[in-house]
Amino acid sequence: MNFDFNVLTIHYPAVLDGLLVTLRICLFSLLFGVIDAVFLCLGKLSGRGAGYRVSVFVVDFFRTIPEVVLIFWIYSCLPLLFGARLSAEISGILALSLLVAANVAEIMRAGVQSTNPGQLEAAMSLGIPAHTIWLRIVIPPALQRMSPAFVNFLTELIKATSLLSTIGVAEMVYQANVLGNRTFAYVEFLTLVAAIYFALIFPLSLFVRRAEARLVAQKCR
Amino acid sequence: MAVLDELIEISYGCAVRVALTLTLVAVVAAGVWNLNWDTVLNLDFTGLWRFRVAIVKGFGMTLALTAAAVLCGILLGTLLAIAMQVRFRPLQWLVIGYVETFRNTPILVQLIWIHFALPVITGIPTTAIVSGVIAIVLQASAYFSEIVRAGIQAVPKGYWEASDALGIPVITRWTHVILPPAFRTMIPPLVNMTISFFKTTAILSVLSVGELMTVSGRISNATFKPIEILTLVALIYFVFGWLISLSARKIETAMANREAWR
Amino acid sequence: MTDKEVVIDCRNVVKTYGSFTALNDVSTSIHRGEVVCVVGPSGSGKSTLLRTCNGLETIQGGTIEVLGQHMPGTRKELETIRRRAGMVFQSFNLFDHMSIRENLVLAPITTLGLDRSTADQRAQDSLDRVGIGNQIDKYPNQLSGGQQQRVAIARALMMQPEVMLFDEPTSALDPEMVGEVLDVMRDLAAQGMTMAVVTHEMGFAREVGDRILFMADGQILVDQPPDTFFTIPTDERLTTFLSKVL
Repeated sequence: MNFDFNVLTIHYPAVLDGLLVTLRICLFSLLFGVIDAVFLCLGKLSGRGAGYRVSVFVVDFFRTIPEVVLIFWIYSCLPLLFGARLSAEISGILALSLLVAANVAEIMRAGVQSTNPGQLEAAMSLGIPAHTIWLRIVIPPALQRMSPAFVNFLTELIKATSLLSTIGVAEMVYQANVLGNRTFAYVEFLTLVAAIYFALIFPLSLFVRRAEARLVAQKCR
Repeated sequence: MAVLDELIEISYGCAVRVALTLTLVAVVAAGVWNLNWDTVLNLDFTGLWRFRVAIVKGFGMTLALTAAAVLCGILLGTLLAIAMQVRFRPLQWLVIGYVETFRNTPILVQLIWIHFALPVITGIPTTAIVSGVIAIVLQASAYFSEIVRAGIQAVPKGYWEASDALGIPVITRWTHVILPPAFRTMIPPLVNMTISFFKTTAILSVLSVGELMTVSGRISNATFKPIEILTLVALIYFVFGWLISLSARKIETAMANREAWR
Repeated sequence: MTDKEVVIDCRNVVKTYGSFTALNDVSTSIHRGEVVCVVGPSGSGKSTLLRTCNGLETIQGGTIEVLGQHMPGTRKELETIRRRAGMVFQSFNLFDHMSIRENLVLAPITTLGLDRSTADQRAQDSLDRVGIGNQIDKYPNQLSGGQQQRVAIARALMMQPEVMLFDEPTSALDPEMVGEVLDVMRDLAAQGMTMAVVTHEMGFAREVGDRILFMADGQILVDQPPDTFFTIPTDERLTTFLSKVL
């Protein structure tokens, strides 16, 4: 066995292009997904009616099916069903947006529902209007409580972008495969890509660990 | 929670519910309006009947891979978690490095890496299925070790002190004092992780290991009709994953009731 | 006493949780300037009665009028009543993510339309009144339990309420902190505040209360001024209760 890491010095720009695509996909799917998530979360909180039932089903469905199935379904079925051509990257962003929407909606719902009922009662007994209770009493601590779960999901999202290589989106893993095919230095490129993923994700994991420990400490007090 | 429901009632009123329903109707209407009816009317799910054996076999493979990941994962994960408790710094660093590497990189990268690198390192060519199982088991062991570690940490300090005070031997201490209560608190996260690895098996289809997603790809290539098979496969995954989480909720309620009775 | 204005008037109030009856045909009233203490064993419905008076619990039968307003009324009417009636909880219920100052000024600014400097001044005055004027820029978790409860009282005072409802205000406190909270409540009573106090502090009830209600099984069994309440118990269950707590 002899690994030749010199190829990396020649071909690394292509991997960096891939990194850019990875980050771009994360950004856009977060953007669209979080907007959808707000609607789904409102629907789940509403407790009854058509909006509630649909939100519950959508959240459960997209959290339960494998990401690859979702990606392939959107990539190969949507163009046939709607007669519209979608680029691989757009399909991928669409699929990951749905993934973000379902998971973040669930995280938001849990954050709101873990509001301390005593604080709500206090706010109501002061006669504070409902919109102020939401903006000042419910949402700020809920955001703080859900930050570990949200960042943890962010790590899952970054890892999930790698799956888009299977439909030909030119993100990092795809670039590594292409360069591997050209130079036969598969292992070298994959190691580089793995290292980049690690560098992206590990700080987030550390944050999750710290934040969770802090929340536990707060509860014990 | 009663107060939150009251807050939602007074702040949602009809306006938000109507807005949500209207949004829903608008989305559905836009979808239906833009549908390509030629495709929709020509959908033929009955054509999948002749692939029933392949689909069932594929799903069996999915379940087998899930079982391998979960069982080996729990076993190796427990060993890793115990190793973390041993007061020997180099060993702890090694375990941390292992766990963090597998938790903080995508399984797809691990999978391909193992598939290409293992034959080079060991000199023995591996088949897709061997690479697939190795990758998923390695990742599972890292994730499960975290769950077991948290479970062990949830065991009250008094259990350790009491077994020290009673002079219980190390092996007995683990098998009879620490691990049983630890596993009980671990059941909900273990079930969630099981669902997660049930989903992960679909990723192994990139090496064509013959599980459900691989089969669906083959069928879709053979028939040129991806919608039917992919929709069916999505539903199979959904129903089965949903059943696991349903049973998990049942177990949790049952356990909570049993605790309440004590 | 009876010629004074009625502040809270409960008529035949019934509250049920499923098959459990928490309040069973309860009638009583509180007049302006009165301090009414409610005592009784746990589960007797005394907290529930207090919470219905602030619209925190819905009732299944009877009527409640607070400050001449039928409860719960419309959403706006309920909000208005809640602003005029201050409530203090067993578990303080301070907003942990806000400083003491923000805890105090949030309600007056958003509901009474006070400007920032007036609200700040009023916050300082309220805190001075409960004896912790120097803690205004701290956060709730930096204060002791007794201090937190005094902040909660100050927060209710910010709305300049016409009546104060206390739901076991000292039950969650360490013994050495009970006194400082009771002192604040004693001052409020002396200044003529109308108060309804659910409590286990018999000494406080005896000293400050104008009337003491004894509740058991969702009913008011005894309604007496303190001198007769303790000395001439008229009810067998009150005798048993007093023998346990005194």
